[in-house]
Amino acid sequence: MRLGAVIGNVTLAKTVSGIEGARWLIVSPFTREHYQRGRQTPAGMSTEPSLVVYDDLGGGIGQTIGFIEGREASSPFDQPTPIDAISAVLVDEVFYQPFSI
Amino acid sequence: MLLARVEGNVTATRKHPSFEGWRLIICQPINRAGEALAAPLVALDSLGAGMRQRVMISSDGAAARNAVGDQKSPARWMIIGILDESQAGGRA
Repeated sequence: MRLGAVIGNVTLAKTVSGIEGARWLIVSPFTREHYQRGRQTPAGMSTEPSLVVYDDLGGGIGQTIGFIEGREASSPFDQPTPIDAISAVLVDEVFYQPFSI
Repeated sequence: MLLARVEGNVTATRKHPSFEGWRLIICQPINRAGEALAAPLVALDSLGAGMRQRVMISSDGAAARNAVGDQKSPARWMIIGILDESQAGGRA
């Protein structure tokens, strides 16, 4: 799971079967530097490419979410679903103490 | 599997039901010398890994689903071992 800031959402006019009416969030993944800001939305965009994440938790713009990528993202569905990123956690608090050597 | 260092944790009230009661640990992937390699990952932990400890994390979703006991869980990254500190330090 990676963490990221929700920076937008997507609505689809026409979809393949199984994902009608789904919520989609545009997420900017955190870099190492972003983690140090905790729950606050980082100023400026992440250098990581943004991605679209399927959401069934109700994440909104400005929130920090944890999302899971890969085949596991479609595990919650009964039918095979063409989803490769899903929100799994709406973050309340990030406790982070980086360590450098 | 990746070698990582524990650098924090995440709390969340709203989450996938299968994560209820699981620790969400921020794991920083590192190289053998302990230098950060990429953006941190959040992994499930049942071993009680502490801050600064070196751990091994696995991206095996099937094993993670079995561990959380929910075949419809999206769980993926999980801490599967804590390194022996003295050994790792000696070789780094």
